[in-house]
Amino acid sequence: MKKWPYVLLGIILLVGIVGSILVYRRPDTAIVEVVQDGQMLYRFDLSQEEDGIMEVEYEGRINKIEIRDHQIHMLEANCPDQTCVNMGWLDSSAPIVCLPNHLVIRFAESSSELDAAG
Amino acid sequence: MKKMWILLSILLSLCLTSCQAPVSRYDGQEATVDIFAMNTYMTLTAYGENAQEALARSRERIQQVEKLWSVTDEDSDIFRANHSGGQTVSVSAETADLLAFALEMAQKTGGTLDPTIYPVLTAWGFTTDTKQIPSQQEISALLPYVGYNRIQLDGTNLTVPDGMQLDLGSVGKGYAADLVTEILKEYGVTSALLSLGGNIQAVGSRPDGNPWRIGIQAPWEDGYLGILQIRDAAVVTSGGYENYFQDEEGNIYWHILDPSTGYPADSGLQSVTIIGREGRLCDSLSTSLFVMGAEKAETYWRENGDFDMLLLTDDGEVIVTEGIADDFSLSDGQEKTIRVLER
Repeated sequence: MKKWPYVLLGIILLVGIVGSILVYRRPDTAIVEVVQDGQMLYRFDLSQEEDGIMEVEYEGRINKIEIRDHQIHMLEANCPDQTCVNMGWLDSSAPIVCLPNHLVIRFAESSSELDAAG
Repeated sequence: MKKMWILLSILLSLCLTSCQAPVSRYDGQEATVDIFAMNTYMTLTAYGENAQEALARSRERIQQVEKLWSVTDEDSDIFRANHSGGQTVSVSAETADLLAFALEMAQKTGGTLDPTIYPVLTAWGFTTDTKQIPSQQEISALLPYVGYNRIQLDGTNLTVPDGMQLDLGSVGKGYAADLVTEILKEYGVTSALLSLGGNIQAVGSRPDGNPWRIGIQAPWEDGYLGILQIRDAAVVTSGGYENYFQDEEGNIYWHILDPSTGYPADSGLQSVTIIGREGRLCDSLSTSLFVMGAEKAETYWRENGDFDMLLLTDDGEVIVTEGIADDFSLSDGQEKTIRVLER
Protein backbone atom coordinates (compact mmCIF):
# COMPACT_ATOMS: atom_id res chain seq x y z
CA MET A 1 0.00 0.00 0.00
CA LYS A 2 1.47 3.27 -1.09
CA LYS A 3 1.24 6.33 1.10
CA TRP A 4 1.22 9.12 -1.47
CA PRO A 5 -2.49 8.97 -2.35
CA TYR A 6 -3.26 9.71 1.30
CA VAL A 7 -0.81 12.60 1.34
CA LEU A 8 -2.37 13.96 -1.87
CA LEU A 9 -5.83 13.51 -0.41
CA GLY A 10 -4.74 15.41 2.70
CA ILE A 11 -3.26 18.25 0.65
CA ILE A 12 -6.40 18.59 -1.46
CA LEU A 13 -8.58 18.64 1.64
CA LEU A 14 -6.37 21.23 3.29
CA VAL A 15 -6.29 23.47 0.21
CA GLY A 16 -10.07 23.14 -0.03
CA ILE A 17 -10.63 24.08 3.60
CA VAL A 18 -8.22 27.01 3.54
CA GLY A 19 -9.66 28.17 0.21
CA SER A 20 -13.23 28.01 1.49
CA ILE A 21 -12.34 30.01 4.59
CA LEU A 22 -10.66 32.67 2.45
CA VAL A 23 -13.59 32.85 0.05
CA TYR A 24 -16.15 33.10 2.83
CA ARG A 25 -14.25 35.63 4.88
CA ARG A 26 -13.63 38.04 2.06
CA PRO A 27 -16.74 40.04 1.17
CA ASP A 28 -17.73 39.43 -2.43
CA THR A 29 -17.56 43.09 -3.23
CA ALA A 30 -15.74 45.85 -1.43
CA ILE A 31 -16.40 48.64 -3.89
CA VAL A 32 -18.20 51.33 -1.97
CA GLU A 33 -20.11 54.25 -3.44
CA VAL A 34 -20.95 57.52 -1.71
CA VAL A 35 -23.88 59.03 -3.58
CA GLN A 36 -25.69 62.32 -3.03
CA ASP A 37 -28.99 62.96 -4.81
CA GLY A 38 -28.08 60.41 -7.46
CA GLN A 39 -24.62 61.93 -8.03
CA MET A 40 -21.60 59.76 -7.37
CA LEU A 41 -19.27 61.66 -5.01
CA TYR A 42 -16.79 58.89 -4.25
CA ARG A 43 -16.25 55.36 -5.44
CA PHE A 44 -13.44 53.27 -4.00
CA ASP A 45 -12.35 49.81 -2.96
CA LEU A 46 -12.86 49.64 0.79
CA SER A 47 -10.31 46.84 1.14
CA GLN A 48 -7.62 49.16 -0.31
CA GLU A 49 -8.69 52.37 1.37
CA GLU A 50 -6.63 53.96 4.15
CA ASP A 51 -8.24 55.00 7.43
CA GLY A 52 -9.62 58.51 7.32
CA ILE A 53 -12.58 60.85 7.56
CA MET A 54 -14.33 62.56 4.68
CA GLU A 55 -16.78 65.41 4.89
CA VAL A 56 -19.77 65.85 2.65
CA GLU A 57 -21.88 68.98 2.60
CA TYR A 58 -25.54 69.37 1.74
CA GLU A 59 -27.30 72.73 1.98
CA GLY A 60 -24.87 73.84 4.67
CA ARG A 61 -25.22 70.62 6.69
CA ILE A 62 -22.22 68.34 7.11
CA ASN A 63 -21.92 64.57 7.17
CA LYS A 64 -18.68 63.05 8.41
CA ILE A 65 -17.94 59.60 7.03
CA GLU A 66 -15.24 57.52 8.68
CA ILE A 67 -13.23 54.67 7.22
CA ARG A 68 -11.45 52.51 9.77
CA ASP A 69 -9.93 49.04 9.35
CA HIS A 70 -11.55 48.69 5.92
CA GLN A 71 -15.00 49.39 7.29
CA ILE A 72 -17.12 52.48 6.74
CA HIS A 73 -19.75 54.29 8.79
CA MET A 74 -21.37 57.66 9.40
CA LEU A 75 -19.39 59.28 12.18
CA GLU A 76 -21.42 62.46 12.50
CA ALA A 77 -24.37 64.09 10.81
CA ASN A 78 -25.94 67.37 11.78
CA CYS A 79 -29.48 66.25 11.26
CA PRO A 80 -32.10 65.74 13.98
CA ASP A 81 -32.80 62.01 13.67
CA GLN A 82 -29.25 60.54 13.59
CA THR A 83 -30.63 57.41 11.92
CA CYS A 84 -27.62 57.11 9.65
CA VAL A 85 -25.17 57.40 12.56
CA ASN A 86 -27.08 54.76 14.50
CA MET A 87 -26.93 52.33 11.58
CA GLY A 88 -23.31 51.56 12.45
CA TRP A 89 -20.87 50.00 10.02
CA LEU A 90 -21.99 49.35 6.45
CA ASP A 91 -22.92 45.75 5.74
CA SER A 92 -24.40 44.11 2.69
CA SER A 93 -27.96 43.96 4.06
CA ALA A 94 -28.82 47.64 3.61
CA PRO A 95 -27.21 50.90 2.52
CA ILE A 96 -26.57 53.66 5.04
CA VAL A 97 -28.98 56.46 4.18
CA CYS A 98 -29.10 60.01 5.52
CA LEU A 99 -32.54 61.18 4.40
CA PRO A 100 -32.31 64.88 5.35
CA ASN A 101 -28.98 65.24 3.56
CA HIS A 102 -29.85 63.02 0.59
CA LEU A 103 -26.76 60.89 1.14
CA VAL A 104 -26.28 57.18 0.54
CA ILE A 105 -23.31 54.94 1.34
CA ARG A 106 -23.59 51.53 -0.29
CA PHE A 107 -21.73 48.62 -1.79
CA ALA A 108 -21.57 48.94 -5.57
CA GLU A 109 -22.86 45.44 -6.01
CA SER A 110 -24.91 43.66 -3.44
CA SER A 111 -23.39 40.35 -2.41
CA SER A 112 -26.72 39.41 -0.86
CA GLU A 113 -28.80 36.66 -2.41
CA LEU A 114 -31.83 38.91 -2.06
CA ASP A 115 -33.19 41.26 -4.69
CA ALA A 116 -34.72 43.68 -2.20
CA ALA A 117 -35.74 44.02 1.42
CA GLY A 118 -38.85 45.45 2.94
CA MET B 1 -6.16 1.51 -4.96
CA LYS B 2 -8.89 2.00 -7.50
CA LYS B 3 -11.24 3.20 -4.75
CA MET B 4 -8.65 5.75 -3.75
CA TRP B 5 -8.62 7.20 -7.26
CA ILE B 6 -12.40 7.42 -7.37
CA LEU B 7 -12.41 9.19 -4.02
CA LEU B 8 -9.72 11.57 -5.21
CA SER B 9 -11.56 12.48 -8.38
CA ILE B 10 -14.81 13.05 -6.53
CA LEU B 11 -13.04 15.31 -4.08
CA LEU B 12 -11.27 17.16 -6.86
CA SER B 13 -14.49 17.75 -8.78
CA LEU B 14 -16.16 19.03 -5.60
CA CYS B 15 -13.31 21.47 -5.09
CA LEU B 16 -13.65 22.73 -8.64
CA THR B 17 -17.39 23.29 -8.55
CA SER B 18 -17.87 24.71 -5.09
CA CYS B 19 -17.09 28.29 -6.03
CA GLN B 20 -19.64 28.59 -8.80
CA ALA B 21 -21.67 31.77 -8.57
CA PRO B 22 -25.10 31.06 -7.09
CA VAL B 23 -26.91 33.61 -9.23
CA SER B 24 -26.78 33.75 -12.99
CA ARG B 25 -25.70 37.15 -14.22
CA TYR B 26 -27.90 39.21 -16.47
CA ASP B 27 -25.89 40.72 -19.30
CA GLY B 28 -28.64 42.77 -20.96
CA GLN B 29 -29.44 46.37 -20.16
CA GLU B 30 -30.00 47.31 -16.56
CA ALA B 31 -30.80 50.78 -15.29
CA THR B 32 -31.16 52.11 -11.75
CA VAL B 33 -32.22 55.46 -10.37
CA ASP B 34 -32.13 56.70 -6.77
CA ILE B 35 -34.69 59.24 -5.68
CA PHE B 36 -35.12 61.13 -2.42
CA ALA B 37 -38.80 61.90 -2.32
CA MET B 38 -41.85 61.57 -0.07
CA ASN B 39 -39.62 61.60 2.98
CA THR B 40 -37.88 58.42 1.97
CA TYR B 41 -35.18 56.84 -0.17
CA MET B 42 -36.29 55.08 -3.33
CA THR B 43 -34.39 52.78 -5.65
CA LEU B 44 -35.91 51.81 -8.97
CA THR B 45 -34.24 49.14 -11.10
CA ALA B 46 -35.49 48.15 -14.54
CA TYR B 47 -34.23 45.79 -17.22
CA GLY B 48 -34.47 45.77 -20.99
CA GLU B 49 -34.23 48.17 -23.91
CA ASN B 50 -36.31 51.09 -22.67
CA ALA B 51 -35.30 50.80 -19.03
CA GLN B 52 -33.36 54.06 -18.91
CA GLU B 53 -36.05 56.26 -20.46
CA ALA B 54 -38.82 54.57 -18.49
CA LEU B 55 -37.01 55.28 -15.23
CA ALA B 56 -36.31 58.90 -16.14
CA ARG B 57 -40.02 59.36 -16.77
CA SER B 58 -40.83 57.56 -13.51
CA ARG B 59 -38.57 59.88 -11.55
CA GLU B 60 -40.35 62.93 -13.02
CA ARG B 61 -43.72 61.45 -12.16
CA ILE B 62 -42.75 60.76 -8.55
CA GLN B 63 -41.43 64.28 -8.09
CA GLN B 64 -44.61 65.60 -9.65
CA VAL B 65 -46.98 63.80 -7.28
CA GLU B 66 -44.74 64.51 -4.28
CA LYS B 67 -45.34 68.21 -4.95
CA LEU B 68 -49.08 67.57 -4.86
CA TRP B 69 -49.19 65.48 -1.69
CA SER B 70 -46.54 67.01 0.55
CA VAL B 71 -47.87 68.10 3.95
CA THR B 72 -45.17 70.75 4.32
CA ASP B 73 -44.84 72.21 0.80
CA GLU B 74 -47.00 75.34 0.80
CA ASP B 75 -47.97 74.90 -2.83
CA SER B 76 -49.19 71.32 -2.48
CA ASP B 77 -52.84 70.32 -2.83
CA ILE B 78 -52.77 68.86 0.66
CA PHE B 79 -51.18 71.92 2.29
CA ARG B 80 -53.69 74.25 0.65
CA ALA B 81 -56.62 72.12 1.80
CA ASN B 82 -55.19 71.79 5.34
CA HIS B 83 -54.70 75.54 5.67
CA SER B 84 -57.88 76.76 4.01
CA GLY B 85 -59.69 77.41 7.29
CA GLY B 86 -62.42 74.98 6.25
CA GLN B 87 -62.89 76.44 2.76
CA THR B 88 -63.32 74.21 -0.29
CA VAL B 89 -60.25 74.03 -2.55
CA SER B 90 -59.81 72.56 -6.00
CA VAL B 91 -57.22 69.77 -6.24
CA SER B 92 -55.61 67.81 -9.06
CA ALA B 93 -57.12 64.62 -10.44
CA GLU B 94 -54.29 62.52 -8.94
CA THR B 95 -54.87 63.92 -5.48
CA ALA B 96 -58.61 63.38 -5.73
CA ASP B 97 -58.05 59.84 -6.95
CA LEU B 98 -55.64 58.94 -4.15
CA LEU B 99 -57.77 60.62 -1.50
CA ALA B 100 -60.91 58.86 -2.73
CA PHE B 101 -59.04 55.58 -2.39
CA ALA B 102 -57.74 56.45 1.10
CA LEU B 103 -61.22 57.42 2.30
CA GLU B 104 -62.70 54.24 0.85
CA MET B 105 -60.06 52.13 2.64
CA ALA B 106 -60.64 54.05 5.87
CA GLN B 107 -64.30 53.16 5.68
CA LYS B 108 -63.70 49.51 4.70
CA THR B 109 -61.27 49.02 7.57
CA GLY B 110 -63.54 50.61 10.17
CA GLY B 111 -61.31 53.65 10.59
CA THR B 112 -58.19 51.67 11.59
CA LEU B 113 -56.58 53.57 8.75
CA ASP B 114 -57.33 57.25 9.07
CA PRO B 115 -55.72 59.87 6.81
CA THR B 116 -56.66 62.57 9.35
CA ILE B 117 -54.53 61.24 12.24
CA TYR B 118 -51.81 63.79 11.46
CA PRO B 119 -52.45 66.27 14.35
CA VAL B 120 -52.01 63.44 16.90
CA LEU B 121 -48.94 62.10 15.10
CA THR B 122 -47.48 65.60 15.33
CA ALA B 123 -48.21 65.76 19.09
CA TRP B 124 -46.09 62.59 19.46
CA GLY B 125 -43.35 64.31 17.48
CA PHE B 126 -43.19 61.60 14.82
CA THR B 127 -43.55 64.13 12.02
CA THR B 128 -40.76 66.38 13.24
CA ASP B 129 -38.30 63.94 14.86
CA THR B 130 -38.78 65.58 18.25
CA LYS B 131 -40.36 62.49 19.73
CA GLN B 132 -42.17 62.95 23.02
CA ILE B 133 -45.08 61.56 25.03
CA PRO B 134 -48.03 63.95 24.85
CA SER B 135 -50.30 64.30 27.87
CA GLN B 136 -53.68 62.53 27.95
CA GLN B 137 -55.35 65.98 27.89
CA GLU B 138 -53.48 66.94 24.77
CA ILE B 139 -54.51 63.73 23.01
CA SER B 140 -58.13 64.09 24.17
CA ALA B 141 -58.16 67.64 22.86
CA LEU B 142 -56.84 66.54 19.46
CA LEU B 143 -58.98 63.43 18.89
CA PRO B 144 -62.10 65.47 17.93
CA TYR B 145 -60.05 66.65 14.92
CA VAL B 146 -59.51 63.07 13.76
CA GLY B 147 -62.23 61.51 11.61
CA TYR B 148 -61.97 60.62 7.93
CA ASN B 149 -65.74 60.80 7.45
CA ARG B 150 -65.75 64.56 7.91
CA ILE B 151 -63.50 65.08 4.89
CA GLN B 152 -65.61 66.11 1.92
CA LEU B 153 -64.53 65.20 -1.56
CA ASP B 154 -66.79 66.08 -4.45
CA GLY B 155 -65.03 65.35 -7.73
CA THR B 156 -61.87 67.42 -7.38
CA ASN B 157 -63.34 69.77 -4.78
CA LEU B 158 -61.91 69.06 -1.36
CA THR B 159 -62.99 70.43 2.01
CA VAL B 160 -60.94 69.82 5.15
CA PRO B 161 -62.77 71.20 8.23
CA ASP B 162 -60.91 73.87 10.16
CA GLY B 163 -58.39 72.38 12.61
CA MET B 164 -58.23 69.01 10.82
CA GLN B 165 -55.23 67.89 8.79
CA LEU B 166 -55.00 65.42 5.95
CA ASP B 167 -51.88 63.35 5.37
CA LEU B 168 -51.66 60.80 2.60
CA GLY B 169 -48.39 59.31 3.87
CA SER B 170 -49.93 55.93 4.58
CA VAL B 171 -51.03 55.37 0.98
CA GLY B 172 -48.94 57.81 -1.07
CA LYS B 173 -45.89 55.60 -1.55
CA GLY B 174 -48.04 52.65 -2.59
CA TYR B 175 -49.93 54.83 -5.05
CA ALA B 176 -46.65 56.23 -6.44
CA ALA B 177 -45.39 52.67 -6.96
CA ASP B 178 -48.55 51.90 -8.93
CA LEU B 179 -47.98 54.99 -11.10
CA VAL B 180 -44.39 53.91 -11.80
CA THR B 181 -45.52 50.37 -12.60
CA GLU B 182 -47.96 51.80 -15.14
CA ILE B 183 -45.24 53.91 -16.76
CA LEU B 184 -42.83 50.97 -16.96
CA LYS B 185 -45.45 48.84 -18.66
CA GLU B 186 -46.21 51.63 -21.15
CA TYR B 187 -42.52 51.61 -22.06
CA GLY B 188 -42.63 47.85 -22.56
CA VAL B 189 -40.54 47.03 -19.49
CA THR B 190 -41.33 43.48 -18.37
CA SER B 191 -38.83 43.17 -15.55
CA ALA B 192 -38.31 45.75 -12.81
CA LEU B 193 -38.04 46.00 -9.07
CA LEU B 194 -39.05 49.11 -7.15
CA SER B 195 -38.22 49.90 -3.55
CA LEU B 196 -39.92 53.02 -2.23
CA GLY B 197 -38.62 53.26 1.30
CA GLY B 198 -39.31 49.61 2.01
CA ASN B 199 -42.43 49.39 -0.13
CA ILE B 200 -41.48 46.75 -2.67
CA GLN B 201 -43.15 46.44 -6.03
CA ALA B 202 -42.15 43.93 -8.68
CA VAL B 203 -42.94 44.16 -12.37
CA GLY B 204 -42.81 40.70 -13.92
CA SER B 205 -40.05 38.40 -12.73
CA ARG B 206 -36.27 38.62 -12.58
CA PRO B 207 -34.60 39.02 -15.97
CA ASP B 208 -33.52 35.36 -15.74
CA GLY B 209 -37.15 34.32 -15.36
CA ASN B 210 -36.95 33.38 -11.68
CA PRO B 211 -39.14 35.03 -9.06
CA TRP B 212 -37.76 38.02 -7.13
CA ARG B 213 -36.48 37.19 -3.65
CA ILE B 214 -37.58 39.71 -1.05
CA GLY B 215 -36.17 39.76 2.47
CA ILE B 216 -38.80 40.41 5.12
CA GLN B 217 -37.23 42.41 7.94
CA ALA B 218 -37.03 40.75 11.35
CA PRO B 219 -38.36 43.34 13.84
CA TRP B 220 -35.89 44.69 16.43
CA GLU B 221 -32.91 42.75 15.06
CA ASP B 222 -30.50 42.72 12.15
CA GLY B 223 -31.29 40.29 9.41
CA TYR B 224 -34.45 38.82 8.01
CA LEU B 225 -37.45 36.99 9.33
CA GLY B 226 -37.62 35.13 6.06
CA ILE B 227 -37.61 35.29 2.31
CA LEU B 228 -40.61 35.76 0.09
CA GLN B 229 -40.58 34.86 -3.60
CA ILE B 230 -42.81 37.00 -5.78
CA ARG B 231 -43.66 37.89 -9.37
CA ASP B 232 -45.76 40.87 -10.45
CA ALA B 233 -46.70 41.86 -6.93
CA ALA B 234 -46.38 44.55 -4.30
CA VAL B 235 -45.03 43.73 -0.83
CA VAL B 236 -45.50 46.27 1.94
CA THR B 237 -44.55 45.77 5.58
CA SER B 238 -45.59 47.86 8.57
CA GLY B 239 -44.09 47.40 12.00
CA GLY B 240 -43.52 49.38 15.15
CA TYR B 241 -39.75 48.83 14.86
CA GLU B 242 -39.58 51.10 11.79
CA ASN B 243 -39.97 54.32 13.77
CA TYR B 244 -40.14 54.47 17.56
CA PHE B 245 -38.65 55.91 20.72
CA GLN B 246 -38.20 54.81 24.32
CA ASP B 247 -38.91 56.63 27.57
CA GLU B 248 -36.62 56.49 30.64
CA GLU B 249 -38.30 53.31 31.86
CA GLY B 250 -37.68 51.56 28.56
CA ASN B 251 -41.28 51.63 27.34
CA ILE B 252 -41.45 51.67 23.57
CA TYR B 253 -43.71 54.06 21.67
CA TRP B 254 -44.04 53.55 17.93
CA HIS B 255 -45.37 55.58 15.03
CA ILE B 256 -48.39 53.47 14.11
CA LEU B 257 -51.20 55.03 16.13
CA ASP B 258 -54.63 53.60 16.78
CA PRO B 259 -56.90 56.40 15.47
CA SER B 260 -59.56 55.54 18.07
CA THR B 261 -57.26 56.15 21.07
CA GLY B 262 -54.47 58.35 19.73
CA TYR B 263 -51.90 55.98 21.31
CA PRO B 264 -49.51 53.57 19.58
CA ALA B 265 -51.44 50.53 18.33
CA ASP B 266 -51.03 47.62 20.71
CA SER B 267 -52.84 44.78 19.02
CA GLY B 268 -50.47 41.90 19.66
CA LEU B 269 -48.66 42.22 16.34
CA GLN B 270 -45.01 43.06 15.68
CA SER B 271 -45.27 43.42 11.93
CA VAL B 272 -47.72 43.00 9.08
CA THR B 273 -46.72 42.28 5.50
CA ILE B 274 -49.30 42.57 2.74
CA ILE B 275 -48.78 41.01 -0.68
CA GLY B 276 -51.08 42.00 -3.53
CA ARG B 277 -51.40 43.34 -7.05
CA GLU B 278 -51.61 47.01 -6.15
CA GLY B 279 -49.17 48.99 -4.06
CA ARG B 280 -51.86 51.34 -2.77
CA LEU B 281 -53.95 48.47 -1.39
CA CYS B 282 -50.94 46.82 0.27
CA ASP B 283 -49.77 50.13 1.71
CA SER B 284 -53.11 50.96 3.31
CA LEU B 285 -53.78 47.44 4.58
CA SER B 286 -50.36 46.95 6.17
CA THR B 287 -51.11 49.88 8.48
CA SER B 288 -54.75 49.13 9.19
CA LEU B 289 -54.32 45.38 9.82
CA PHE B 290 -51.44 46.21 12.19
CA VAL B 291 -53.90 48.34 14.16
CA MET B 292 -56.62 45.64 13.97
CA GLY B 293 -54.60 42.72 15.31
CA ALA B 294 -54.43 39.11 14.12
CA GLU B 295 -58.02 38.06 14.72
CA LYS B 296 -59.71 40.99 12.99
CA ALA B 297 -57.09 40.89 10.22
CA GLU B 298 -58.05 37.26 9.55
CA THR B 299 -61.73 38.21 9.39
CA TYR B 300 -60.94 41.10 7.04
CA TRP B 301 -58.95 38.75 4.81
CA ARG B 302 -61.77 36.20 4.68
CA GLU B 303 -64.30 38.88 3.79
CA ASN B 304 -62.25 40.85 1.28
CA GLY B 305 -59.47 38.49 0.30
CA ASP B 306 -57.98 40.25 -2.73
CA PHE B 307 -54.54 40.04 -1.09
CA ASP B 308 -52.25 37.80 0.93
CA MET B 309 -50.69 38.57 4.27
CA LEU B 310 -47.97 37.60 6.70
CA LEU B 311 -48.44 38.52 10.36
CA LEU B 312 -45.80 38.26 13.06
CA THR B 313 -47.35 38.15 16.54
CA ASP B 314 -45.88 39.25 19.88
CA ASP B 315 -45.65 35.54 20.77
CA GLY B 316 -43.41 34.79 17.81
CA GLU B 317 -46.01 33.10 15.67
CA VAL B 318 -45.96 33.70 11.92
CA ILE B 319 -49.41 33.62 10.34
CA VAL B 320 -49.50 33.38 6.55
CA THR B 321 -52.39 33.09 4.12
CA GLU B 322 -52.47 30.10 1.80
CA GLY B 323 -51.70 32.08 -1.36
CA ILE B 324 -48.13 32.77 -0.28
CA ALA B 325 -47.51 29.90 2.14
CA ASP B 326 -45.36 28.02 -0.38
CA ASP B 327 -43.44 31.15 -1.39
CA PHE B 328 -42.26 32.06 2.10
CA SER B 329 -39.37 30.46 3.96
CA LEU B 330 -38.03 31.37 7.38
CA SER B 331 -34.41 32.51 7.60
CA ASP B 332 -31.90 30.28 9.35
CA GLY B 333 -32.01 30.77 13.09
CA GLN B 334 -35.57 32.17 13.12
CA GLU B 335 -37.34 29.77 15.43
CA LYS B 336 -40.93 30.63 14.80
CA THR B 337 -44.00 28.52 14.32
CA ILE B 338 -45.84 29.07 11.06
CA ARG B 339 -49.62 28.84 10.88
CA VAL B 340 -51.25 28.82 7.48
CA LEU B 341 -54.70 30.34 7.05
CA GLU B 342 -56.87 28.49 4.57
CA ARG B 343 -60.12 29.62 3.10
